[in-house]
Amino acid sequence: MGANQKLRRRTVWLLIIILAVGFGAVITRLAFLQLVQGEELQRRAIEQQLSDTPVSAKRGTIYDTKGKILAQSASVWQVVMAPAYFDDGADGEEQRRFVAKRLHEILGVDENETYEETTQNTYYVSVKRKVETSEKEQIIELQNELAEKYQKSGIISLLDDYKRYYPYSDLASSVIGFTGSEDQGLSGVEFQYNEYLSGTPGRIVSAQNGVQTEMPFDYNQNIGAIDGSSLVLTIDETVQSIVEKYMKQGVIDHNVHERGVCIVMDVNNGEVLAMASVNGFDLNKPYAISDDQQKEIDAIDTEYLVKHDYIEEGVDPYKLSESKKKELIEKAKAEANSAALARNWRNKAISDTYYPGSVFKMVTLSMALQEGVVNENSRFGCSGAFQLYNDTIHCHNTAGHGSQTYQECLWNSCNPGFIQIGQLVGKEKFWDYYQAFGFSDKTGIDLPGESDDQFFIHDGVEGNMLDTDLAVASFGQNFSITPIQMITAASAVANGGRIVQPHVVKQILDSNGKVVKNTSTETKRQVISESVSKEMCGILEENATTGSGKNGYVAGYRVGGKTGTSEKLIDVNDDGADDYIASFCGFAPANNPQYAALVFFDAPLGGSYYGSEVAAPVFASIMSEVLPYLDVAAQYTDEEMSNIDTAAGSYTGQSIEDATKAAEADGFSVTVKGEGSTVISQSPATGASIPTGGTIVLYTDQSASTDKVTVPNFVGMGVSEVNGLAAANNLNVSMTGMVSSSDGTSTSQSIPEGNQVAPGTVITVTFSSSGIAD
Amino acid sequence: MSTIENTSRRRVRDYERDRHASDKRGRRKINFSLLSIGKGIDIPFVLLILVLLTIGITMMFSASYPVAYYEIGDSYYYLKRQLLFALVGLAIMFGISFLDYHYYHRFAAIILGLSYFALLLVLVLPSQEGGVHRWIGFGAFGIQASEISKFAIILFLAHWGSRYYDRMDTFKFGILPGAAVFLSTALLLLFEPHYSCIVIIGILTVIMLYVSGIKVKWLAIGAAILAVLILLLWVTGMLTYAMERMDGWGQALNEDLDREMWNSTWQTRNSLYAIGSGGLFGLGLGQSRQKYLYLPEPQNDFIFAIVCEELGLVGAVIILLIFALLVWRGVIIALRARDRFGKLLGIGLISHIGLQVILNILVITDWLPNTGISLPFFSYGGSSLLTLMFEMGVILSISRSSNIEKS
Repeated sequence: MGANQKLRRRTVWLLIIILAVGFGAVITRLAFLQLVQGEELQRRAIEQQLSDTPVSAKRGTIYDTKGKILAQSASVWQVVMAPAYFDDGADGEEQRRFVAKRLHEILGVDENETYEETTQNTYYVSVKRKVETSEKEQIIELQNELAEKYQKSGIISLLDDYKRYYPYSDLASSVIGFTGSEDQGLSGVEFQYNEYLSGTPGRIVSAQNGVQTEMPFDYNQNIGAIDGSSLVLTIDETVQSIVEKYMKQGVIDHNVHERGVCIVMDVNNGEVLAMASVNGFDLNKPYAISDDQQKEIDAIDTEYLVKHDYIEEGVDPYKLSESKKKELIEKAKAEANSAALARNWRNKAISDTYYPGSVFKMVTLSMALQEGVVNENSRFGCSGAFQLYNDTIHCHNTAGHGSQTYQECLWNSCNPGFIQIGQLVGKEKFWDYYQAFGFSDKTGIDLPGESDDQFFIHDGVEGNMLDTDLAVASFGQNFSITPIQMITAASAVANGGRIVQPHVVKQILDSNGKVVKNTSTETKRQVISESVSKEMCGILEENATTGSGKNGYVAGYRVGGKTGTSEKLIDVNDDGADDYIASFCGFAPANNPQYAALVFFDAPLGGSYYGSEVAAPVFASIMSEVLPYLDVAAQYTDEEMSNIDTAAGSYTGQSIEDATKAAEADGFSVTVKGEGSTVISQSPATGASIPTGGTIVLYTDQSASTDKVTVPNFVGMGVSEVNGLAAANNLNVSMTGMVSSSDGTSTSQSIPEGNQVAPGTVITVTFSSSGIAD
Repeated sequence: MSTIENTSRRRVRDYERDRHASDKRGRRKINFSLLSIGKGIDIPFVLLILVLLTIGITMMFSASYPVAYYEIGDSYYYLKRQLLFALVGLAIMFGISFLDYHYYHRFAAIILGLSYFALLLVLVLPSQEGGVHRWIGFGAFGIQASEISKFAIILFLAHWGSRYYDRMDTFKFGILPGAAVFLSTALLLLFEPHYSCIVIIGILTVIMLYVSGIKVKWLAIGAAILAVLILLLWVTGMLTYAMERMDGWGQALNEDLDREMWNSTWQTRNSLYAIGSGGLFGLGLGQSRQKYLYLPEPQNDFIFAIVCEELGLVGAVIILLIFALLVWRGVIIALRARDRFGKLLGIGLISHIGLQVILNILVITDWLPNTGISLPFFSYGGSSLLTLMFEMGVILSISRSSNIEKS
């Protein structure tokens, strides 16, 4: 073989190796990457090439029924970080430390944790949400610093975010509810309607280059956030405010230990106008507890630990090491704090169950009337107690009510009377009606946390009652229902026998304000006939006028209602004495019921605990303001007319004769003070409310106008006594409460005894009826 | 040596006709006028070069303009320079093609000596980015010492192989000089360090010795020695720099890398993303997304990843076929050379091109560690393009020489 042939042969081999093996391998490899792995590689490439930024949707607004804003979201910012853009090595280390330090200074985030986050190899770390404008400005400064100092951009960025504001702070707090850090509803309507309120977050998908600036070509996809729907509640801010004002006062006046509940409901369509669990919490600061609660927590000591079983058995609590003691106290405080928060957040109106007590008698009597087991001839005796087998059931009137009609049984709130009515209804019918009135099911109100009732169970069958069960159930004891169930049943008694669906949301509006959904106001079923309902309204109206519920009387309105006092099974304050729930459930106007209200105080410890003493006056106060606001026409009796306030006219600048004539024409009696001939000033001033027949003092010279009178004691008197005393002192009194009742006694006065006031000043004197033990 | 050996029957016929024609015109002289530039040189080879250069510059522009825009502020920065280099390179290529390659025969040893000097010089010159000693600067212009070395070794081994062709089957003439030249150069390259160049020089040495006719058993022994050597270097820790790069070898697509590994595999990963994104037909010319600052220096070693992304597998394979044609044509030119020196020089130079293409693509596809091997005609860079065009000029000189000899 020639030398050149060998070279030629070897060259050909070489060519084959280069082309076949070398290029072959290369093409195979490329084909594998582009065809087999191509999809996966492309996916990963696109993942890094596209910046996918979430865009927060604005949470919907919550309006009250009149369009007042109860909750709304305002624009704030979210600070995010792309730690992958930090340099490597010492430079990057310095940049990370710097950023962590500055973020700590600006946002108050933990410096070490933030530093940890800066070492991640990602493009999206949420540093802090809900950042306000002042902090946002500083973040922009930080961005500039980074750009100047390190020529770095894109590490820190700001995204749109929203923060929830509640203009009325603690108003209807348990109904409205609050949101969490991720804008998700955590309680109340915010939770229940979260799906509607939260909207759909959007995304901005855009092509970006390796340093996260925009690409020069069009590669932008903007999926806009869909803002959340808004809610229109049935809650009326004005009604709610009135309710909360009086409920808070009631809680203070009667030293209520376990908060108070009030529900105001439209009896015809189930719209809840007000639902209060006082005291609630500030929706803007849901995690803050009240000062009193904080005081209690701060007071936690060794004794508390012993009492609440924090100390292990066999350990002497007074020989604990300091550190152990401290640890236990910290634990107890943390738990007490959680308990306090849970308590504040709890919507007692739907989550608490209680023995309805005598309020339930309106239901029992409705059953009896519907079943026709009682009539005008029925008589129910009461000797102060009722003997059932071996049990003696006492009436609140230990002297006994004697022989009563069924109406009188209710007016007297007589337990033995109702035991007999219950026996006439019978256990099976009672259970049927119990179910029909909606007590055995949740009402299905559109709020979270509604509780189930607890009725009698024997042999595993619910509603299987013993004779004694029926006896106590007749007057509302030994079974538990929720306040919302009670008012729904009471509404049915009042509205012609229809069980309506209670609800707090009236409408759902989309982000453009268009109505997307109206809440149904369906009637679930008819439970008693219209005629029975009508009769019940009459009986309950009479009860609120002259019967056991007369403290619920509202001047000018035909109110029907029933008091209730029920035992609690828990001794809330560990004083060994039984605790009670004082409640009142009523409606108005009795001839054409529109609104019902349930007032409920859990464990009043201020001495009086009867519904008639604690709950009924609050009901009356609430209704006396709510009904005029709701445009329910007042119909005053003559007697009531005399107590209606009139606005004082302007009498100054006139001669004494003219002024006196004018004032008397307005229905006032006149006292002239001073030596002059012209009236230069008057008390009360023009426009002030004075009871009809009240006194106007006209001053004719300057010196006289400085005269003062001393306020006498008005408490503990009858109406006429108060009037006489007021006239004698040249004062005016405005009387509220049980004024019309003959046994009404004044219980408080708005300006305390002994104060010096100008003659003619109006003093509000509140009357209530005593001696009703229910 | 007879050229008749290399001619086919057709060539004999051509030869006769040419001689007949030249008889008419009298003795043909080498004419340096512009019109005669094409005379004698291999036209298919030149066309292939022009095609590759055109595609290469187009793709280099496409790949580089975002980087040029973002980092320099002038999208045409790399294009303008590369066009200039290409023009200069073409001038050098045609110029060199007129230079009788036998001059190199004479200066082979001197050029080898110069390459050693260059390798030593870079070691004392200040280091470049990454702490490597590779470049010799000529003002704004620089050349890699290893570029000189590669040419010097091919030249020297062609020189040696043609001179001692009869004794190439001996150890003393066949192996010793080649091994000595390779090992000494490799040693100096170790200090730069420039491992990919050692690999290329090693393979080129083997190719040259093989074609020169050494015994095949020496190749096996050489492979064994190489393996031992690499093992030794590994153990001594001299591969620190390479190790760092090789750490991420084959791991670019691993999802859970720590920050350091993530960064060191960044370029390879984004190269793979680019290649994979191309699919069969690519995203279209100019449509690469990975060139937007994801793939660092897309105009350099990793340019073919952008080519794959924009032109897809089809485009990539067409370009590779043009490269293959170039190699094939180069080998034909070499085999037609009238002497053994020309043959060996041509084979060495064209193998170098083929080798660069293969190794470059194996790097960007993560089958080889990321070690800086540029793609001929495509990668941006003045000195490498000029060196390449110079080498093409030498091959053209071989073709011109054999063609003119024939006439």
